[in-house]
Amino acid sequence: MRSLTLHLKVLIFLLVALGVSITAYQIFVLGIPVTEDETDDLWNIDAKVEFIASAREPVKLQMFVPPLNQEFVSLNESFISNNYGVSVNRVDGNRRVTWSARRASGKQTLYYRLVLTKRYSGEQAKANGPIFRDSLPVEGAEKIAAEALLSPIRQHSADVETFISEAIKRVNNVEDDNVKLLLGGDASTANKAGVIELLLSIAHVPMERVHTIRLSDDPQSPELWLRSFNGDRWLYFNPETGEQGLPKDRLVWWTGNDPLMNLEGGRSPQITFTLNNSEMNAIRLAKLTDENTDADFLEYSLYGLPLQTQQTYQIMIMIPIGVLVILILRNLGGLQTLGTFTPVLIALAFRETQIGFGIILFTLITALGLSLRSYLEHLKLQMLPRLSVVLTFVVVLIAVISLLSHKLGLERGLSVSLFPMVILTMTIERLSITWEERGGGHAFKVAVGTLIAASLAFMLMNIQALTYFIFTFPAVLLIMVGFMLAMGRYRGYRLTELFRFKAFLKD
Amino acid sequence: MFGLIKTWKALEAKGIMGINRRNADYVLKYNKRSLYPIVDDKIITKQRAIEAGIHVPEMYGIIETEKDIDKLKDIVKDHTDFVIKPAQGAGGDGILVIADRFEGRYKTVSGKILSHEEIEHQISNILTGLYSLGGHRDRALIEYRVTPDPIFKSISYEGVPDIRIIVLLGYPVMAMLRLPTRQSGGKANLHQGAIGVGVDLATGITLRGTWLNNKITKHPDTTNAVDGVQLPNWDGFMKLAAGCYELCGLGYIGVDMVLDVDKGPLILELNARPGLNIQIANDCGLTHRAQAVETRVAELKAKGIQETAEERVRFSQELFGHVQPHE
Repeated sequence: MRSLTLHLKVLIFLLVALGVSITAYQIFVLGIPVTEDETDDLWNIDAKVEFIASAREPVKLQMFVPPLNQEFVSLNESFISNNYGVSVNRVDGNRRVTWSARRASGKQTLYYRLVLTKRYSGEQAKANGPIFRDSLPVEGAEKIAAEALLSPIRQHSADVETFISEAIKRVNNVEDDNVKLLLGGDASTANKAGVIELLLSIAHVPMERVHTIRLSDDPQSPELWLRSFNGDRWLYFNPETGEQGLPKDRLVWWTGNDPLMNLEGGRSPQITFTLNNSEMNAIRLAKLTDENTDADFLEYSLYGLPLQTQQTYQIMIMIPIGVLVILILRNLGGLQTLGTFTPVLIALAFRETQIGFGIILFTLITALGLSLRSYLEHLKLQMLPRLSVVLTFVVVLIAVISLLSHKLGLERGLSVSLFPMVILTMTIERLSITWEERGGGHAFKVAVGTLIAASLAFMLMNIQALTYFIFTFPAVLLIMVGFMLAMGRYRGYRLTELFRFKAFLKD
Repeated sequence: MFGLIKTWKALEAKGIMGINRRNADYVLKYNKRSLYPIVDDKIITKQRAIEAGIHVPEMYGIIETEKDIDKLKDIVKDHTDFVIKPAQGAGGDGILVIADRFEGRYKTVSGKILSHEEIEHQISNILTGLYSLGGHRDRALIEYRVTPDPIFKSISYEGVPDIRIIVLLGYPVMAMLRLPTRQSGGKANLHQGAIGVGVDLATGITLRGTWLNNKITKHPDTTNAVDGVQLPNWDGFMKLAAGCYELCGLGYIGVDMVLDVDKGPLILELNARPGLNIQIANDCGLTHRAQAVETRVAELKAKGIQETAEERVRFSQELFGHVQPHE
């Protein structure tokens, strides 16, 4: 017996641990939303390119687009253009779209649209980049100025990281004569980046330009950042402030020294970025992500089923909750019900009839069925023929109720479909048997208990958030099984027994 | 809420057994499901008892099929009174008690006159399963009619009072006298309104009783005190009950017995899930007694000793008997 108890404890522990860890994995690692109402940011980025095409030449416009290997997941990408051929190719870790047309004239407008989200991005590929570079050629006064700037930087830095941020700080000190000389009077960010690159190249530290878009609703143009590979990962720097680390809301559009656009056969190209943020139901987003990426974390969940089947399972997966309610009411509360499963089935029938109407219907038909039964009692019929008569009567009764309520314009009465009918007849049969074996008083008590249990189970099974939670995290059922197993060896009193044995306390 | 916790603690301290504990620790642990038919079918119980030499009401005959009904006349020709029972009936339904004959007809205990055809119809009903659990086909049992000992006259209303003893692994742990009332319609079932009266295991003297979950001292119909009555042949009852363990193999049973004027203690039926109201009747919990028996069995097992029914009865009487009467 003791080993059995240990066995049970181990089993319960395993089930609960498994249930908890699978659910925790789904919530914390896969990031599946805990409630259905949870929403996620969805960014809609429009890049609008306008230019004037020259009438006689073929037009070719090349533009960088985000490489899509970042911690954002693209849900949808589209190139909108009239009469233009579109091709996308990869160049040095960038992606570039080429729009081309043989003949075009006047003002041209091209759109690039990207929908992305931050959630559910998969594993990042291992970063790789150069860790050494040759010095840029530099002569004369500029060489001396650069050397002069470099020696304090070397002194104030410990590694590549501090070296770069120190260099950026020095270059941004425009009062410095050496800096003034190198900048040549142009203090634009692009020019500063060039000077920083020059300084770093002399120290053989590689550096790359990164053009980013900020995920915010404000109008903007790409912002320049610098990055360097330290052998393990990319380090990002702001060339104006020396601030390190790319903020979370930046999306890398392209890297390198090339301009964003390259136009042949046209003039005055202009680009405007419009970003807008919309919120999307997180679980729908998860499903979309699943379709658009090779991340298939929902593949083996119940969401992988066809939609029709999913709806059935959303009902089915709540049955254990109903059974749990009955278990608690019976073994802890001491409520008497008709069998274990009947109240759950009645609760399922309530889904179709709605609870208020369901209770009235259940009470009415059961009462009429039982009164017929007690009338048949006088005829001294055998059990089977008597039950058959009762069940036939119930079917007729339900039909009459449906007909009457339809004539009265109450569509509710029609909601009694096959399933509730089967359950009702079954309930009456079982109730009659109980009546036969234990008497009318007991049958009444059991009927009321069944109704209470069924209503409670129905209410619990119909909580939308709970349905969602269990459907999304079915491992919760394992925890429930653990609880049910523990209940199997529960020896304490039932609530009703506290009243039943009250006589012991009166002395 | 706080009051409930207090009640819980108090009941636990008294060792009152709840349904969950009875099922988990006793019924499921000691009663093998495969042995249930022995107690559910009164004919099998009776046959086992006869083989084991345990006293039961004499069986006159069994009717298994509609064709067998013709044999009824032969079966009862030597007996003026007899009882017809469904073998798997529950709650005393379908039992027909014939007390006498009258001009070729039969007379029931309540004085109703029945023709032979009416009795045959009743048997036919039994066979189709009208009274059996779940409506299965059943068999009809015709047996000796018990005449209750007149000792119960003063504290009983109609029907046959019976004695229930709870037997754990062959050790009687608690006993109760069940007295029919007007409300129970002559039946000795507590949940139908019969009275349960505790019995001192050592002496066979009745204690106070329970009626509908309350404690009582007087029979509601006769208003005579139910306590202080000496049950005759008490040791006979105890030995009979203790012997039922070997008879059926179930470790936790309720043994229902009657006291016949002529034949003494007889076994009526066995119950694999005996009710818990016996605790109220005895004003004592079952848990402590059951645990004492389990300890005893474990000790004896370690020593390799197998006790006889007499030894087990003596053990139970010494440990659980001689209850201090209420003042």
